[in-house]
Amino acid sequence: MASSQHVLLSPAELAYLHASLSLAPPIRPDGRSPTQFRPLVAETGILPGTNGSARICFADGTEAIVGVKAEVERTAQRSGDETVFLEEGGAGGDDDDEEEEAGQGLEKRKGDASWVEMTVEIPGLRDDDSGTAFLAAMLSEALLADGGFTKRLWINRRFHWKLYLDIILISPPLSYPLPLLSLTTHLALLSTRLPRLKSEGDEDPFFDDDWAAAPYLFPRTSSTNIATAKSTTPAAAIRPPITLLVMAVGNNIIFDPSKEELAVADVALAVSVTGSSPSHYAATGTGEEAGRNLRLLSIRTVDPPSRLTPPGLANAANTAYGPSNGTMGTQKMAEARAAETEAAEGVWRPPRGGAKRMVLGALVQKVLERGGVVDEVLDALEGVDSG
Amino acid sequence: MASLKRSLDSDPFSANISSKVYVRSTKSGKVQKIVREVYLRQDIPCSSRLCQTCIKTAPRDAAGRPTTFVLSEAPAGTSVFPQGHYLVPDTNAFLTAMDLFEQSAAFYDVIVLQVVLEEVRNRSLPLYNRLIGLTKSEDKRFYVFFNEFRLETHVARQEGESVNDRNDRAVRKAVAWYGQHLARTKAKTVPAVVMLSNDRDNLRKAKQEGISACSLAEYVKQLRDGDRLLDMIPESGDQGIVKEKRPGEPLYPEYFTMSKMMTGVKNGLLHQGIFNVSPYNYLEGSIRVPAFPKPLLILGRENINRAIDGDLVVVEVLPKDQWKEPSTQVIEEDTITKNENPDAEETADLVSEKERKALQEEVKRTHNKTTEGHAQPTAKVVGVVKRNWRQYVGHIDQSSVSQSTQQGRKQDTVFVIPMDKKIPKIRLRTRQVAELVGKRILVAIDAWDRGSRHPIGHFVRCLGELETKAAETEALLLEYDVQYRPFPKTVLDCLPKEGHDWRVPENMDDPGWRDREDLRGLLICSIDPIGCQDIDDALHSRPLPNGNIEVGVHIADVSHFVKPNNAMDTEASIRGTTVYMVDKRIDMLPMLLGTDLCSLKPYVERYAFSVLWEMTTDADIVNVRFTKSVIKSREAFSYEQAQLRVDDQSQQDELTKSIRTLLALSRKLKQKRLDAGALSLSSPEVKVQMESETSDPIDVKTKELLDTMSLVEEFMLLANVSVARKIYEAFPQTAILRRHGAPPKTNFDELANQLRVKRGLNLSVESSRALADSLDACVDPKEPFFNTLARIMATRCMMAAEYFCSGTQAYPEFRHYGLASEIYTHFTSPIRRYADLVAHRQLAAAIGYEAVHPSVRSRGKLEAVCKNINVRHRNAQLAGRASIAYYVGQALRGKAAEEDGFVLKIFSNGFVVLVPRFGIEALIRLRDLGDPEPAAEYDAETYTLKTSGSRELTVELFQKVRVKVTDQKDEATGKRGVKMELLSVY
Repeated sequence: MASSQHVLLSPAELAYLHASLSLAPPIRPDGRSPTQFRPLVAETGILPGTNGSARICFADGTEAIVGVKAEVERTAQRSGDETVFLEEGGAGGDDDDEEEEAGQGLEKRKGDASWVEMTVEIPGLRDDDSGTAFLAAMLSEALLADGGFTKRLWINRRFHWKLYLDIILISPPLSYPLPLLSLTTHLALLSTRLPRLKSEGDEDPFFDDDWAAAPYLFPRTSSTNIATAKSTTPAAAIRPPITLLVMAVGNNIIFDPSKEELAVADVALAVSVTGSSPSHYAATGTGEEAGRNLRLLSIRTVDPPSRLTPPGLANAANTAYGPSNGTMGTQKMAEARAAETEAAEGVWRPPRGGAKRMVLGALVQKVLERGGVVDEVLDALEGVDSG
Repeated sequence: MASLKRSLDSDPFSANISSKVYVRSTKSGKVQKIVREVYLRQDIPCSSRLCQTCIKTAPRDAAGRPTTFVLSEAPAGTSVFPQGHYLVPDTNAFLTAMDLFEQSAAFYDVIVLQVVLEEVRNRSLPLYNRLIGLTKSEDKRFYVFFNEFRLETHVARQEGESVNDRNDRAVRKAVAWYGQHLARTKAKTVPAVVMLSNDRDNLRKAKQEGISACSLAEYVKQLRDGDRLLDMIPESGDQGIVKEKRPGEPLYPEYFTMSKMMTGVKNGLLHQGIFNVSPYNYLEGSIRVPAFPKPLLILGRENINRAIDGDLVVVEVLPKDQWKEPSTQVIEEDTITKNENPDAEETADLVSEKERKALQEEVKRTHNKTTEGHAQPTAKVVGVVKRNWRQYVGHIDQSSVSQSTQQGRKQDTVFVIPMDKKIPKIRLRTRQVAELVGKRILVAIDAWDRGSRHPIGHFVRCLGELETKAAETEALLLEYDVQYRPFPKTVLDCLPKEGHDWRVPENMDDPGWRDREDLRGLLICSIDPIGCQDIDDALHSRPLPNGNIEVGVHIADVSHFVKPNNAMDTEASIRGTTVYMVDKRIDMLPMLLGTDLCSLKPYVERYAFSVLWEMTTDADIVNVRFTKSVIKSREAFSYEQAQLRVDDQSQQDELTKSIRTLLALSRKLKQKRLDAGALSLSSPEVKVQMESETSDPIDVKTKELLDTMSLVEEFMLLANVSVARKIYEAFPQTAILRRHGAPPKTNFDELANQLRVKRGLNLSVESSRALADSLDACVDPKEPFFNTLARIMATRCMMAAEYFCSGTQAYPEFRHYGLASEIYTHFTSPIRRYADLVAHRQLAAAIGYEAVHPSVRSRGKLEAVCKNINVRHRNAQLAGRASIAYYVGQALRGKAAEEDGFVLKIFSNGFVVLVPRFGIEALIRLRDLGDPEPAAEYDAETYTLKTSGSRELTVELFQKVRVKVTDQKDEATGKRGVKMELLSVY
C-alpha cells in the first residue's frame, strides 16, 4: 500500500538523507541509533467502561486510543458437536486434577477468527478507505496468525467471548500509523480482563460479579509467582503480538523510521512478532542469551512513499541547467533516461523493484534477535502499569 | 503529554469521588462491566438527638426546618450497656430475625445501614418491605444511614476481598464512626453503638478493632425479657456448631449449582416448575412442566429432596422403568412419623422403616398390575430455584415434648405440626415448651440442610389457645396470607374529609356533577343477600315508547373516591379483594367507603357508574351505553324479600313490575347463555347460621337457590361482558379482562373413566357445550344428587379463571370457558374486588369521562396487578371455605349427626366421603372401620374396595353411604376435625 503522506522534501534533500542513512553506522536526522525507538508516552485503563484500554502518544505528535470490549456469544454448533455433557466438569473431582484438566482444556479449545472484530478509525479517512481497511487487516492478521489468540476467548463448547477492538487514531495521520496502532493494541490487550468464570463444563456461563477477581486475558507473571509461571503451559506466557515497521536503506536496517526516513526507504516491512513473557530472564540468570522466544507471525511489505517521490536529475542531464543547456535533441533525451536508471552520486533516485532477498533475511534476523529491539519494546510496554 | 485519566491527585475534591466497579450478568446472558462513580459527602446526618453538629447541616424541608432526628437522646440500656445503646445489625441479623426487630418489647434505636438495606432488598423483597415498614414507624426509631455516601464511612473493596467481607467491613467501619462521632458530642452519657451479627468472623474482627459487638443470642440474653425472645432467634446461629459436632452422612442428595440447573432447563434436560404436595399423601408431590401433558410425579422423601409445597424447583425425569402410577393410598405424616424423636438427630437412614413399608406396598401394587399405560413419568428434585417459604401456622406435637422438660427454661427441641398438611413437620427449639403446648403458634422455616430429616424453624409468635375463635380465625388469615391489619393512617387520610356526612352535592354545577347523568328519577332497587352492607350493584328497568325495554345496571362509583396511585389505591391493590369469613369480613377498602359512601344504600343519593341497555322483549340487545350517574335507590331487597314480592301477585306497584320484567328478561338471557354452551357447575356450598348474641354457630344449611339470585347474576354477567367489549375496543393492549382457559382433555380422563366404568355414562369434553350436555345426561334416576355430584367432580377438573391484561394473550385465548363468552371482565363489584376498580377506570377513560391515568395504561403494571389479584382471589376463596369448614366443625361440636354421604374418591386403604348436607368431606380409613383393621382388596379398574375380616363391606365410587358425623379431637396432635364413621352402605 502507499503510505499516503506526501513528503515535502526536494530530490536533493532526499538524496542527502538517503546518503546519510546509508553510512555505516547510519546517521539518522534525529540522532538515534538504528534500533532506537522514539520516546513514547503510554498509559492503560483510560476507558473505565471497557474490558481493557490503552493510549500511546508518539513524540511526533501522533496519538492512538484502543478500547477492548468483550461480549458473551453463543458458539455456532458444528455438526457432531451438539452433544452437551452436563456431567462433565460439573462432577470434576479434586484440586490436584485441575492443572491437568486445564491443560486438557486448552487442547480441547477451539478458536475462530470471527470472534475478534477490529475497527480502525483514522481521522479524515472513510472507514472503508483502502488504507484503513489494510491497516485493520494487518493488525488482525498479526493477532489471528497463529490461532492461539482466539483460543483464549473460548469459554466452553457452547459459548465464547466475542472481542471488539476499537482502534482510533486521535491525532491527524502525520506518519504511517501502523506501529503506533499496533503498540497501543498490544498494550490494551495486555490490560484486558475478562470476568471470572464460575460455572463448570458446558453450562451456560455464569460469572463472578467481582471485577477485581477478573483474570487478565494475558495472565501476568510477576516475580512473586515465577514458579507457577514456569509450570504453566508456555501458551499462557505468550504476549499479544506487535507489528513493527522496519526499513532498510542500503544495507542498514532501521527501526521505527520517522516520516522523513521512510521517504527514502529502499524497503519497508511490517513485521509481526510475538514473544513470551520475560520470566526466562530470572530463570536463566543474567546470561547474555537471556531473552524471549520470539516468533515471527507475518511479514508484509509496505509500499514506501519513497517510490512516489520525483527523481532527481543529474546536472549533466538537466536541460535547464549546466553544460547541456540549450542543446536539445533526441539523443539528449535518451541520455537523460539512461541517467535516471543509473545511479549517480548525490542524485535522488526513487527505489525501484522489490526488496533484495539478502536484505529481507537480515531484516527478519535483526527483528528476531534475542534480547534485541523487540525484547526492549515488549519490556517497556509490560512496564506500563495496567490498572 | 497529559494523562487522559481523571487525575485524582491534583483534584482538591478527589477524596469525595470514588468508584465502584463490578460485573453485571443480565438475564439475556449479557455480561457487562459496570463502573459507577460515587460522590461522597459529609452532610449526611447521624440522626442522633444528642448530636449538635449534624443538625446544622441536616437537609431541610421546603419551610427551612431541618428533618427531625430519629435516634433517641436517651436510648434504653441492657445489662452490658447500662449507658444506653444504638444497634447496628448486619444483613443476616435482619434476614433471619426480622420478627425480633418487630417486637415492641425491645429493639429500639436501630441504625439501618444503607449497605445492609440494599443487601436485604437483594435477598428478600418481603423482608425488605417489612424493614422499610419499621423505618417508617415513628415509635420504633429505626434510622437508615447512608453509609456508602458518607465520606468517613465509605469503604472501597480491596483486592481479593469478597463482597460479603467488604460489606462486613463497611458495617464495622460505620459502627466505629458512630462511636467516635457520638463521643464528640460531649453528652453526659454517650450511648454505646453495638453491632449485631451472627457471623463469627465478623464478631472476631470487631473485637480486634475494639468495636462493641454481640451475636443475636448474646444480645437478647442481656435484655430483661430475654428468655422469651430467645426462641425467636433463628436456628442458623448455632448451626455452625451443630454441624461440627456431627459430620455424619448427609441424608439428602446435594442440589445442582444454579448455572447447571439453568443450562439443563434451557436444554430441556431438566424441568422447572412449582412443587405441589398431594393433599392425601405427604410423600407424593407433583410438578406441572410445559414439556409434559400430565404433571410429573415425585415420590418419596429422597426424590422430593427438601422441596416444600410452593417452592420453585428444578427436576430431572427418572428413567422409564421407575415410572409409577399416582398413589392410591393415603399416607399421613402424623401417623407414620408419630414417634420420631426430635432430639435424636437422624443418624440413621433418611427413609424410616415405616415410610419404607408404606412405599413398598405401593411398589408391590404397581408391580402386580400390568397396566403400563397408566404409569406416569416420575422425577426427582435436583435443585430449588426459589424457596417460597412463608410463616406457617401450626401447633406443637405434644408427643414430641419430653416430660422432664415441661418445667424450667431449658431449651428443648419439639416438632411443630403445620396446619397445612402439605407442609412437613418443622423442628423447633424453644425454651417455653410448657407455655406453647396447646397453642396456635406461628413459625418460620430457617433452613433445611442435607443432614437433617426435617426443616428447622423458629418461633415467631403465639396466636392463642387452640380452638378459640380468635386464634383460629387469625390462623386462617395468616395461612392464606390475607392482609388483616387495620388500615394505616396514610390510607385513612385519603378518605373524604366529610366522613359519614358526605352527600352528593345539591348544586348541579359542582365539579362532582360534571358529565354525570341525573338518574335519580328512575325506579332503582338493589337485591343482595341478607345483611349485606357493601351494596355494589342496583338495577332498574322501564318500558320505552317503542316497545323495547330499557334496563340499567348501576354500580357503585368507587373510582370517584379511590384515585389511582394514592395510598388507599396501593393498599387496595395489595389486598386485591375483600375476604368473607363466616363471622368476619376483611375489607379491601376502608369501612367508610365500603359500607357507606360507595354502597348504593336505599333512599339516599349516590354516585354510580351505569350500564344502560335497550333490549327487545326477547332480550336481544339493541344498543348499550355507559355513563357516570347519580342515582337514588328506592329499596334494598334481600333475595328472599324480592322473591316474595315477585311471587305475590297482589303487588302491582311499578317497582315490583319492573323486577318482574327483569326476571323475565333474565330467564331469556340465561337460556341464551346455556344454548351457547355455558356450564352450570357446582360446588357444595353451605351457610353457617350463627346465634346473634354470641355468634356461636348453631346450625348449618345448604344454600338455597332463588330465581332472584339468578336475576341479579344474569344482569351482572351481561354488564361484565358489555364492559369487557368496550374497554377492549378502547385499549386493545391494556384492557383488564378475565379468562377461563379450556381445561386440557387429560384433566377429565380420570372422571370420564370413572363415570364410564361405574355408571356407563359418557363424558364428552370437546367443547364446553358438549361437556354441559353430557353433564346434563349424568343422571341416576334413583339418586337425584348424583347429577350434582358429577358436577362437583367436573368442577374440580377445571382450570382456575384468571385476570389478565389483554395485550398478553391472543384474542381466541380471551374466552371464558365456563360462561361460554368470548370476552369477559369483572366490573360489578368494585367495593370488594380491585380488578373491578381498574375496569371502572378504564371504562371511564374509554367513554371520555376522564383522562387515561398512566397506571391504567402501563402494561407492565397491569400485569403485576393481575398476578397479585389472581393469587389474592384464590386465597380469599380458600380462606372463606376453610372458615366455613371450621365453623361446621364447631357447629357439630358435641353432637353426632347421621347423614347421607357419597364416596368421592377411593384409596387402597380408605375412601373419601362427601356429606352434602354440611358441605364437608372426610377420609374414612380402613382402620376406622373395625378393630383389628380389616383386610382389603382394592380394584383400581372398577374403583371398588372390598374389605374382609373384622368387617365385610364393598365400597364403590359414587356410592351412597350412611355416615355418622362427629367432631373429634385427636389427643395426640391436638387437632380438631370432622370425623366420619361408616354406618352402612346403601
